[in-house]
Amino acid sequence: MTTPDQPGQPAAEERLLRERLQRAGYLADADLATTVWLASALQRPLLLEGDAGVGKTALATALAQSQGATLVRLQCFEGLDLAQAAYEWNYGRQLMAIRMSESDKDAAGRVRESDVFSRDYLLERPLLRAISQSGPCVLLIDEIDRADEAFEAFLLEVLAEYQITVPEIGTIRATHIPQVILTSNGTRELSDALRRRCLYHYLDYPTLAREIAIVKAALPEVDTRLVEDAVQFVQRLRREDLAKIPGIAETLDWVNALFQMRHHSLPEDMSAVLGTLGCLLKTREDRFVMGPDRLRQLVEGRRTVGVAENANEQAKATT
Amino acid sequence: MHERHITLPAGASAQSATAPSERLAGFAALLREHGLTVGVAEQQAMLQAAQLLGPLHERPLQAAWRAIACHSHREWQLWADVYERFWHPEKLRGGVKVSGQTRPSRNLRQSVQALHDQMDAAQQPASQPGQNAAPQTAGDSASSQLDEQGNGTPRAQGGASRTEALHQRDGQMWMPQELSALQQLARQITDKLQARPTRRWRVAPRGQRLDLRQTLRRSVAWGGELMQPAWKVKRVEPPRLFILADVSRSMESHAALFLRVARAFALEADARVFVFHTRLAEVTPYMHRDTPAIQEKVNAVTAGFGGGTRIAASLQEFARQHARAQLNRGARVWVFSDGFDTDGPDLLDAALQEVRARGARITWFHPTRQVPAAGALQRARNRIERFVPLASLADLAAARHVLH
Repeated sequence: MTTPDQPGQPAAEERLLRERLQRAGYLADADLATTVWLASALQRPLLLEGDAGVGKTALATALAQSQGATLVRLQCFEGLDLAQAAYEWNYGRQLMAIRMSESDKDAAGRVRESDVFSRDYLLERPLLRAISQSGPCVLLIDEIDRADEAFEAFLLEVLAEYQITVPEIGTIRATHIPQVILTSNGTRELSDALRRRCLYHYLDYPTLAREIAIVKAALPEVDTRLVEDAVQFVQRLRREDLAKIPGIAETLDWVNALFQMRHHSLPEDMSAVLGTLGCLLKTREDRFVMGPDRLRQLVEGRRTVGVAENANEQAKATT
Repeated sequence: MHERHITLPAGASAQSATAPSERLAGFAALLREHGLTVGVAEQQAMLQAAQLLGPLHERPLQAAWRAIACHSHREWQLWADVYERFWHPEKLRGGVKVSGQTRPSRNLRQSVQALHDQMDAAQQPASQPGQNAAPQTAGDSASSQLDEQGNGTPRAQGGASRTEALHQRDGQMWMPQELSALQQLARQITDKLQARPTRRWRVAPRGQRLDLRQTLRRSVAWGGELMQPAWKVKRVEPPRLFILADVSRSMESHAALFLRVARAFALEADARVFVFHTRLAEVTPYMHRDTPAIQEKVNAVTAGFGGGTRIAASLQEFARQHARAQLNRGARVWVFSDGFDTDGPDLLDAALQEVRARGARITWFHPTRQVPAAGALQRARNRIERFVPLASLADLAAARHVLH
């Protein structure tokens, strides 16, 4: 899919892929780049898991952008069926064609069955659209865990063979194998069959250095000091006992908000921070927990230790 | 670390052409032993990746293999440890991670290793002595050194070997009919667990209600005639069951029963099973395999845990990390423990509250007749929906009417 500078040099290809992703605004770490490269080399789908807001979907969009490929997105939801995911006959048009041929008195205008069941009357839904692309294509199947098990089973054919069978026409095979990315939030266990067909990567929250780099790349005009302080704060916040842990998108929102308010570093006045905290904390309980005092502690880097961390630290100490 | 070269397959020269794939097979066997699904297809993909990556640097190869071999978050977390243990056993020499307690679980691996050692020994005279430091055999020799060291020093044998103690206990023997009785009991209880009705509907061939939208959609194909009605029924979600079994020292004599019961529910109700004492670990995959040595596997997983019981911390870790997305209204959390906690009494209350806040219902199974007198448990009493004594199969049978 990529056109490497030196063919046969995976390391070079990988670096190239990383650079392109970076140009598209996505900073991938080395392991992720290897996995993405391997997925395209082995022509296998890539299953990404991780918490909401760690950049699963963003990877797919950046990948498509970096390769100049079309992005076809299938958002999964409960009750998603074949007609919405793969294809559907355009009954209305079919009927209209038949009616028109009936009203036409010439024998030549007679419509045959094969005319009505041709590609012209087929409504392409995302899966079919991805398979019938003539150029490079990235197929994003988002939040696969929200779809039903039955749909997952159907997906197996598409992902293993890159083909879709339409009974009236036959099997449609992909001319260009699309690069498939599946994302899951883990609300439901996926079937082993699906998991085994995919390469797997678990996306965690970024490290401090990477998150700073990401924010700087996305918002180049913001002061470095503000970015560093803010990201450090968010990293500390993630270790707190929150119902909804802020993701990268939230960090970006928040830094942007502070920038719009013309701050050049984290403001001393906690009420100003509190006002913008809606960008990070999205539930009432979380807002309630984060009073001005707690906030000041976090900003200054002090924190009380929760039970789980206590356990982890003790475990570390004992080993 | 980044630049270290690894044995595959560039390192495999004329000496023996099949060695890398065999070594890989050994690695795959170790992965399988840890509950990862690594079949022939995965091994082929791993070899393919090794070939694609060409002159090897370890880091990308490791990442590629991880992507191929792991299929879930649990496996993803397990990977680093297993990988290090197999390919870089020399790094673990100083660590306490591998102690005498884990030995039984490494049987398969050791036998594979022994096989390798034998084969290497057979080949050794033929091969050049200068190749000794070749990375291909380095891993083997280092790990066998480790084993020797493990045998020799009192450190490995020291401490209480819980495995043996449990094996010697007569009460642990289970008759096949008892096992099937347990399985049947688990099935009955599972059937009784109330499914949660949702507001959603799903299409069903014999539903009570007409799916108007679908019917109209279908009618288009018939020119607007309602030829093929579509029906729907209310969607029900079976409740998610989570079992947390305490395997700390104080619960030693009950652990076998707990794990048997947990296994029965893992098979029947698709429960996720965790064990804890100072830390929490998921053991669901082991439960799904038919092996008499569950206890050994669990010991292997929990090896390296310190002494004591940290129920509150374990529960909190469970709610925050392992089951965060799945703990919803209608989830059932069963804790098998006597409630004696090394953490402060308030923490248990807070941890249980956290689980309750997500809507899960907590049932506490205790091995004693009475509800344990542990202070922490008494304080957290009203967070727990029901206390059930569980010291034998009969107790579970007696409790089957109250579990729903």
